[in-house]
Amino acid sequence: MPVARSDIAVLAVVCLATWGAVPVLAQSADSLEVGRKMLAEDNPGELWVQRGERLFHDQRGPRNASLEQCDFGMGPGRLEGAFARLPRYFSDTGKVEDMESRLLKCLVELQGLDRGAIIQARFSNLDRASDMEALSTFVASRSNGMKMDVRLEHPQEREMYKVGEYIFYRRTGPTDFACTSCHGDEGKRIRLQDLPNMTDRKQMQAVIAGWPAYRGTHSTVRTMQHRLYDCNWQMRLPDLGFASDVSIALTTYLNYRGNGAVIQVPGVRR
Amino acid sequence: MRIRMATRAVIGVPLLVAVGCASFPDAQTTRGLGEKMVATSYPGMPESLTRRAVQDRAQQICSKVGGAKLTQEEAAEVARLSRDSIKYPASGQLAGDWKVGANLAYAGQGGRIVGGVVEKAKENGALCSNCHVLDPREVNAGNVGPALAGYGVQRGSSEAIARLTYERIYNAWAYLPCSIMPRLGAGGHLTPEQIAHVVAYLIDPASPVNTKK
Repeated sequence: MPVARSDIAVLAVVCLATWGAVPVLAQSADSLEVGRKMLAEDNPGELWVQRGERLFHDQRGPRNASLEQCDFGMGPGRLEGAFARLPRYFSDTGKVEDMESRLLKCLVELQGLDRGAIIQARFSNLDRASDMEALSTFVASRSNGMKMDVRLEHPQEREMYKVGEYIFYRRTGPTDFACTSCHGDEGKRIRLQDLPNMTDRKQMQAVIAGWPAYRGTHSTVRTMQHRLYDCNWQMRLPDLGFASDVSIALTTYLNYRGNGAVIQVPGVRR
Repeated sequence: MRIRMATRAVIGVPLLVAVGCASFPDAQTTRGLGEKMVATSYPGMPESLTRRAVQDRAQQICSKVGGAKLTQEEAAEVARLSRDSIKYPASGQLAGDWKVGANLAYAGQGGRIVGGVVEKAKENGALCSNCHVLDPREVNAGNVGPALAGYGVQRGSSEAIARLTYERIYNAWAYLPCSIMPRLGAGGHLTPEQIAHVVAYLIDPASPVNTKK
């Protein structure tokens, strides 16, 4: 892999030398896309699907129970196509929930695990894997090949959608950023990192189709909850609460806008 | 764009009502709900940090859903608030040392929060190259903002240009209300002295931004 990367770098230098004038302005990050495609062919994220499947069926926690009765909106234990409809309103909690918040509920209520401890370990690091990341990847993968289909039938779903839209354009913090600051225009990059224009439906669908995603720079699969947390971090905002209202409002807005995207997870991202 | 949206609204709204596909909350309600949710979505964080998620007046004006245009009055208010926010270095010197500015311009650290703690950094970076081309030989530069290579070649390094450049970095909204550019001085990310160094990096004839290769 490092060989391939240096080849790309050499190629880029040759191209720059050939083109000559204003090389920086003409530079595109497309060569990085080649690396991502190569990684996607042997997607390491598949390992998270397998681990998540095992965790889902194993008897675990103080109650020594599996997660097989967990309800993601299609009925207890029915996973096929469930992720494609999330976030949605759940009458048992009276709230709009996403995949991760449902998993959190099931880990607590079915297996008797400690809510605080789960949230503490929600994201993996180099020393510790995260069950939440593996379980999310497995559950989402059961909608692979299906289209994102968030429906906004319940009034609370429509509220969440509108709040998500409001937050998407809401500028705040020491950098004055909103989501649109980086994701509202065509062909933009932060340094060499391409930024999808999320006001464009096609690009929105390409984003939504591939989360959870294996992130090369993190050496792990990250979920949408982490993606939003990470954006907040870069915006210099405080740690965004796991399964917080803001995170679910944004996910409702983004997933609905990404409706029609053919889900293929785990995706591969930088 | 505006016409297309208007057309969609004319056809779409009655259609939604007709099929009984109930309504969305209006802008006022949405704002109320949204602000309430923001207030509860950073649990366990000290007030000194959650304060960052509270909008000031200019940010409120600059948060138009769908990127709608500002009214004349709104633009004027943002410009006025921004102009009033600008503070200058105690030394009065608006162009510092371009070599110090060069380091700042490519530095992206500072001010990020993990686990409720602000990252430890000697000083905040100026974040410039995340969005702007500066030294034309540096490939790793973003394009969210305009390319600034040759900035001083075009403008010179007069007192007036130093002042304009300083003010645009301290608070970009004084000149371009609601620009994507962060209000780096007014928002507290950079000190007046740091901004003066970045100004020098942009306008000094000896700076790589302005040397032809």
